[in-house]
This record gives sequence, structure tokens and C-alpha cells, in this order.
Amino acid sequence: MEKFKHIGKVEKRVDAEEKATGRIKYMSDLSFPDMLWGKVLRSRYPHALIKKIDTSKAKALKGVVAVVTWKDVPGLNGFGIVVPDQPVLCEDKVRYIGDAVAAVAAETKEIAEEAVKLIDVEYEPLPVVDDPIKAMEPDAPKVHDDGNIHLHTQIKRGDVDKAFKEADLIVEHTYRTGRQEHMFLETESGVAKLEEDGTLSVYAGSQYPQRDQLQLSRCLGLNPRKIHVVSYPVGGAFGGKDELTIQPILGLLALKTKRPVKIVMSREESMISYWKRHPMIMKYRTAVKKDGTLIANEVKIYADTGAYASLGGPVLNLAVEHSCGPYRLDNVRIDGYCIYTNNGVAGAFRGFGVPQVTFAMETQMDIIAEKLGIDKLDLRRKNALRRGDTTPIGNKLTTSVGTIAVLDGVKQTDIWKNKDNIERVDHNRPWIKRGVGIALTSQGAGLGIGLPDYGGAILRFRADGGFTVGVGLVDYGQGIGTSFAQIVAETMKCPISKVDVILGDTDLTADSGPTSASRGVYTGGRASVIASKRMMRILKNKASDMLNVSEDQLEVDNATFYVKEHPDIYVTYEQIALEFLKEGKSLPKTEGYFLAPIADIKIKDAFGLPHNIFSFSAHLAVVEVNELTGKVKVLEGAEVVDGGTVINRQGFEGQVEGGYVMGLGYALTEDVLIDKGLFKTLNFSTYIIPTSKDVPSKIQTVPVIDPEETGPYKAKGIAETVMCATAPAITNAIYDAAGIRIFKIPATSEYIYTLLKEKEKKEYADSH
Amino acid sequence: MNKFDYYRANTIEEAIQYLDEFDKDIKIIAAGTDLVVRLKQNMVKEKHILDISRIRELKGIYREDGKIHILPLTTHSEILESEEVKKYATVLREACSTIGSPQIRNRGTLGGNVANASPAGDSISALFAEEAKLKLLSSEGERVISIEDFFTGPGKTVLKTNEMLVDIFMPEMTEKEIGFFKKLGQRNALAIAVVNVSVKLGRGEEKNKMDKAVVAFGAVAPTVVRGERVEKALISESLDSPEKLRYIAQLAWREVSPISDVRASLKYRQDMSINLLYEGLLELYKNNWKG
Repeated sequence: MEKFKHIGKVEKRVDAEEKATGRIKYMSDLSFPDMLWGKVLRSRYPHALIKKIDTSKAKALKGVVAVVTWKDVPGLNGFGIVVPDQPVLCEDKVRYIGDAVAAVAAETKEIAEEAVKLIDVEYEPLPVVDDPIKAMEPDAPKVHDDGNIHLHTQIKRGDVDKAFKEADLIVEHTYRTGRQEHMFLETESGVAKLEEDGTLSVYAGSQYPQRDQLQLSRCLGLNPRKIHVVSYPVGGAFGGKDELTIQPILGLLALKTKRPVKIVMSREESMISYWKRHPMIMKYRTAVKKDGTLIANEVKIYADTGAYASLGGPVLNLAVEHSCGPYRLDNVRIDGYCIYTNNGVAGAFRGFGVPQVTFAMETQMDIIAEKLGIDKLDLRRKNALRRGDTTPIGNKLTTSVGTIAVLDGVKQTDIWKNKDNIERVDHNRPWIKRGVGIALTSQGAGLGIGLPDYGGAILRFRADGGFTVGVGLVDYGQGIGTSFAQIVAETMKCPISKVDVILGDTDLTADSGPTSASRGVYTGGRASVIASKRMMRILKNKASDMLNVSEDQLEVDNATFYVKEHPDIYVTYEQIALEFLKEGKSLPKTEGYFLAPIADIKIKDAFGLPHNIFSFSAHLAVVEVNELTGKVKVLEGAEVVDGGTVINRQGFEGQVEGGYVMGLGYALTEDVLIDKGLFKTLNFSTYIIPTSKDVPSKIQTVPVIDPEETGPYKAKGIAETVMCATAPAITNAIYDAAGIRIFKIPATSEYIYTLLKEKEKKEYADSH
Repeated sequence: MNKFDYYRANTIEEAIQYLDEFDKDIKIIAAGTDLVVRLKQNMVKEKHILDISRIRELKGIYREDGKIHILPLTTHSEILESEEVKKYATVLREACSTIGSPQIRNRGTLGGNVANASPAGDSISALFAEEAKLKLLSSEGERVISIEDFFTGPGKTVLKTNEMLVDIFMPEMTEKEIGFFKKLGQRNALAIAVVNVSVKLGRGEEKNKMDKAVVAFGAVAPTVVRGERVEKALISESLDSPEKLRYIAQLAWREVSPISDVRASLKYRQDMSINLLYEGLLELYKNNWKG
């Protein structure tokens, strides 16, 4: 294997110092002279008609500069990545409790808060649609005029009925998952400002500045070139800032007042207003032969997308695509429904539909292994997809497939090695039971068929002999800026300190698509390699001129070209830069664009399916269950991950550990509770994310690398897969420990206690 | 946030003067770990806020005449660091170690926790088991009341508007006394108790016998409550088997009247009152007097 100087090494994050010292300015920290504060009036009801909006009292309040309603939206009063069905400001109807009805810009935050209370809105409440299954009934109240089923995706392959007749075992269960919230530290916040030349600058952390620009241009009726979006730095996103949030309202207020306007949302407002992970109800029926061969899967998925579409359709489709796990299954019938309700809004979130179905399918696998008496790893290995196989939805896997490498890697983990030696019943406290669980998952990377998937990078050569790479993607914690610096340094044969990275800016960076779908390193990284190779050719050509030798006689290392035979004859990058300037030329700038390869088939009506590149991971957990309280403690975790080549070893570990902890919260505690359209969990006090005291002291990270030829340095991506199978690993471990099957997450202490009581009752009844 | 006037007292005397001056319209702030949240939610109606955090005479831990005194402005962290508490108020110590997070324990005070009067207050439940007494002071004089008589409802106490809490004291635990604090929260830090249980037992002369038992439950009634039926059973029965302890713990059913909320259901809280008590008693039994 090629020896690398930067790729795969532990590299300090390029943003480590500014973040650790607090020097970095997030959008919530920005301040401009003459700046106003904005505040949004949200709906009073989860579902209601708007009869009248009276802003006169608010406008009359001293210090209020503008009050805007739907009448003030200059362009299309709607946004949404796929279907722009969400009003910037509602006109005649509100569909969830966070719907924006009006907004105020005022001299102070306090005045703005006071002013929104003075806006009189007359509503006519409508019946609330809060159950996705009931919402599908023909006589259910309609959230949108054309019905509550936003999308129905169906996949049929093989002869499912015949396979079920031939089955030795049929496992049938219904699964439910919670409504997880991203809980980024920085709420949706930012500043919009009208520049002297008429350009509207929008500073708001997000995941795709160029798409924000296009969506804003449509809402605001402005030439997109007159909108400058800065979306980095951002204090966390995890998918929750993929869609627009407050940007159109910020833009509207800045255009109206011609002054900078800032909004910083409170945690409570953030909670009710924007995207969550789709809660899903999943009905599974799996047919298996005695030897463990999976022969058919029948799956029904009901996804509660809340009031508006956003990315609900694509999320459902990813759930459909991954519903059978990374397994060979030739007879499948999958029906997915994405359903409108008045339960807030759901959208993009790390995993994008895959954590839900992975919980269901990997529980099915655990049950099958137990019923057939087959080792859990062997069952998975027997059915695992390999390269060249056809996936359950029908496309051929032509790229890297790490299932077997991952399953082999499991045997290297401490958990697997020690699994037979754990103290299953605590000696001193026999009500404490311990067990081990495992789950396998895959994650399609990139946008899938139907959306052009590309990476873009601009590389500028600087006078100091260094480089600045501009990629439209955003580092929201995953460390992508550092990865790009490593990739450019490796390709340009220079120290990392010579590479600056600019992210997320419509003026300074190349459009590289959204920072989502585990695609950042793959697309932006590959584009950076292409731009770097172009740059290298230019520099080499110049060096050859300067040294008066042919290019093939040149070697390059440490930002210096030298003559192979005479290493004392050399020219540094800095000298090359000076030469360009001396000649009166501008310093070279190169661009790299990479159009990602796509799958071999297209699936009717299933936008974004199938994917072509997949990452794989196995997750393990050792848990203890307190039978007196139902409380679960995860004692140890491990993940074996194939995301192709690891770019930054430390970043890899950070992603894996972070993903595991996010999965742990998803498994045990995290759920936004909504009752009749009203939120019960508004902040960190009742929405329970794990603290350092709730996570295992050890999460072992094992990279196994199935190289992907089309990726930068054969990398794929790991951002999502690292959280997708943590929940079923934990719930399978709970079964191993206490003999109770978890069909609903989060598996709170109370839920587990209830299951333990039921088990006790059943055992008592059986014995009498 | 509503507007208010802020005052700071540097001595108890000054504080009492302010309380008299703004009678009924003044709220005391100690560390503010609860009050600031309530201020932000516009849940404080008083127009004057009196900051007592700089009153040095309200801070510290000392022993006197068989009692351990913990002055109200002592932080949870200071309680955890105290050798006296480690030896003479172990139930309280265990409770303080579960409060909030290190940041909150560094700031939050015992007096603040008591005066805030949350039915789920972890230190309050422990102070019940420790048989603590409170000294209240006003310009009219001082009075001493038992911790159990202090609370009248969620967030409500017998403290008069011109009165302040100036001392919290409790008998030192003797060598014969043992106890525990157990809390079930939704997570292991920064958690409000779903249920908490505090117990202090005095070992009797006879094997398996106790001559003293104080039991308190938190988050299962409008205030922290004593478990008198459990206490009587613990004293009168021979605690000779896990089954016996289980049976006694089931009496907790008769002690609690919880509600359902976003954290837990009524039924779960009932069962947890029993099971936390049982788990704690069982651990004491195994470690201390099991045959």
C-alpha cells in the first residue's frame, strides 16, 4: 500500500485552536452597527385556519421597526428542498404549533419579544391529526388539501407469497421509534444584512449555502447572485440545518428595514419549530429457512413527517432501501408511507431513515438467530451482501462492500472476545443482569439516483507558496475541513500548515452539494484531489521552466521540486509563487469537479434510490439491566466500521464515539413527546440526551477498510453509519441480559420495567 | 424577562432589613440555579430580588453539641468535600453527590435547595432522614422547626415573607446508625428525580433488629413525605431475610401519592418507591447485618 504523509494519520483539527479558545465567531456571535433584533410569532394552535391578522398594536410599540406577515413576502411564500410547501409566513392556515405567522424587527430583543405578543391573530381551530395511521384514513381531517399521504413508495421483487409458503420460520413483529431531536448546541440563529451594493448577506449556519441561496432567491424574489450566503461556522447541525430554517424570515426583515437583523432562537422555540427524526411504525414479516437463509421480507413503513414535506420523501425512501439490512433477499414486498400530521415537522437527521429500519431488521435478525439456534455472527455472514450481489431492491453492488470485513472485525473487538466471560448475574446484586448485543448496518452515501451528485473545489495558490481550498460543504463538527486540508496537503506534497480551508460561502467556495448523506469526504475530497492534481501540473510545469529541466526529471516533496539526480537543485513553492508574481501574472487557481457514479437501475417513483456507494458497520454493546427499576447502563461499546480509507484517524474515532453516543440516546432516552400537536418536551430538562455519566467509559473503534476506487484516496464516508445500529445493539443486549424483547425505542426505564413485569406475570401464569 | 430591582445584602442584619422594607414583594436569590431559570420564564412575580450570596456568616459547616450544622449558603460541592459530613451525615452526602452536575453543585446551595421546596429536591429527602431542623430568622425573632414541618406544597413553605433560613442542623449519625439515599432519574447526571428515597436506621441490640428508622420519599407527593408505616415495620420486625425486607418495602404503597407527568407515570413512581427502598435496604442488609 502507498505510504502517506497525512492520509490516515492523527492530525490536529485545523479549527482546534479557534474553537478551544472561543475565538471563533459563530453566527449567533455576530453583531453589526445599527443592528435590529428579530422575533417570530409562532402559531397558537397545531391546526387552525387563520381568519385575521392584526399587527397594528405591534407596529405602534415604540422601538418596533417592522412587522411582517405573508403579505410582505416578495417571492414565493414557500420553501422546502423537494416541494416548497412550507410557508415563510402562514397566510390562511397553520399546520403545526411551530408554524411562523408573523415576524418583528425591533431595536432590542426585549421590544421584539414584547411586540410579537401584541400581534392579534384570529384563528379557527381545526381537528388535530396526530396519528399517522389514522391520518391515512379517507375521512381523516386533511393537513394539506391533496390528502395526508405525502408519498407511497413500493418495491416488489421475486415471489414473496411462494417464499412464505416455503419458509421454515416466519418472524413477524411491529416496531416503533421515537422522535429524536438533533440538539445541536447552537440553535437556528443568524444575521441578515443588506449591503451597500444591494446584495443581501445572510449569515446563518447551515449545510448547503448554494441551495440556501436558490431557495432564498425564490422566496425573496431576488436574483440569486444578489444573495450572499455564509453558512460556516455552525455550532452543530446533524441534518437539522439541511433545510432552510430562519433564513427567509431574516432576509425578509433585512429587506424591509434596510438594517441588519439578528435572530437567536431560544431552545424552546427551536424545539417546536424545526426538524426532527421521523418516528416510524414498521411492520415486519420475515421468512427464513432452517439453515438461516433469509428468503423473503414483507415490510410496511409508516413515517410521520409532520406538517410539511421538507425531506420526508427521501427519508422514507432511504428507509425503504435499507429496510432489509445489508442482506441478500430476493423476495421482498416493501410499502412505505410518508404521512402528514400536525406533529411538528420531521426532516433530515443523521442516518436519514436508516436508524429506524435498522432497529427493526436487526431485532428480527436477533430473534431469528435465537429461534434457529444459529450464532449471531454466522447468521449475518450467511446472508450478508457481497460485491457483485443484487440488493433487496434490485441494484447490483459494483462498489466496495465491507460486510464480511466488518463481521470479521467483530471478532477482534474486546466485547466479542470476552462475551462468554461476563458476569451475567451480579454476584452481590442478583437483580442486576448483564448481556451482549450486536447489530449490523449499511448506509447509502450520497444523493442516489435522480439528483446530480457532485463535488466541487476551488484551489488557490498563494504568494507564500501555500494553498487555499474552497469547498461549499460545511464542517459542523465532523472535521471535514481538516480532512480537506489533509487531502490537499497529501496531493500537493506540502505540510498541512500550508493549506487553508474555506467552507460554506457562496462567494468563496465551489458548490459541492449538501453536507449530508455521508458524502462530504467522498465528493468534496475527490474534487479537492482533482483540483490539486491540476494545480500540481501547473506548478511542475513552472518548476521545470525555472530549473531548466524536463518535468520527468523532477521529484516533489515538502513543498519543493528538485531534480531527481541532483537533489541540491530545487525550487520551493514559495519561489514559484514569486516567479508568477515577478512575471506580472496572477497566481494560478484551479477547480475540481467530480460527478459521482450512480447505480445501474432506477426505481420507479422512488426518488433518490438506489445508492451506489455504501458504508458498513457493526455495533456492539454490553449492558446491565436493573430488574428492580428497569434502568439500563451501557457498560461498554464497540464499532467496527468500513468507510473506505480513513482520512484522519482521530476524526474517525471522534465520529464513531459521537455516533455511538447519539445512538445510545436514541435507544434509551431521547424522544420529543407531542400530545395532540403540543410539545411536552421543550428543553434539555425533559428531552434527555446522554451525559458523560451515561456513556460507557470505553467505546472501541475498529476501522476495517474495504477500499473504494472512486473515492479520494479510496475513502467513502462514515458520518451516518456510525450511529445507525447502536440502538439495536443495545436493545439486543437488553434481551440477552434480561430476556425481554424491545420493540419500541426509546426503551426508557419505565418501558423496560413494564416489560419485565409482563414477563414475570407470564412466567408465573405458565408455571401455574 | 420581567424587570426587577436588584439588592445585595452583605450581612444577615442587612438582609432582614431589606425583607422588612419590601415586605411581600421581595424574593431571595442565593446561587440562582433554580431562580434564574424561573426569572427567564417570567415565573417570579416579585419586583425586588435580594442577593444573599455574599453573606459570609451564612456559609460553613461545624459540629456543636452532637449536632452538625450546615449553614444555608454552603454549596453541594463543599458538603461533598467536608470530612464532618462524610462521617456524620452520610445520607445527605450521598444525596448531594447526585444533584445536577459539577457546575451546579459548585454553585447551588443547601439552603437554596431547601427553600426552593421542590417535591423532588434530593437534599430535602435526605434532610428528612437526617432529622434536620431549620432555624428561621426575622426582625421579630427566630424560630426552629423540623424539616418536615417546613413544606406546605410544591414550591411552598411556612417561611414568612420577612423571614429567612439561617441554619440547617441535624444530629450527628452515631456508629450504630447507617443509611442510604437512592435516586432514580432519567439519566445519571443533570437529572430530576423520578423518585428518591432516603433512609436512616439505628441498629438495635438484638440481631436483625433496628431501634430507629427514618424513611422519606421524594417526587411522589406534593412535598417530600415521611414513610411512617415503613418506619414502624422496620423497627418492630426482625429484618432477617430479603423476603422480609421486600414485604416491608411494599408498605411504601401506602406512603406515596404520586402523579403522572412527562418524566414518569403514577404507577411507575408507586412501584419505584417500593423497589428503590427495597434495593437500598437489601444492600444495607448484605453489607451490614446479614447472618
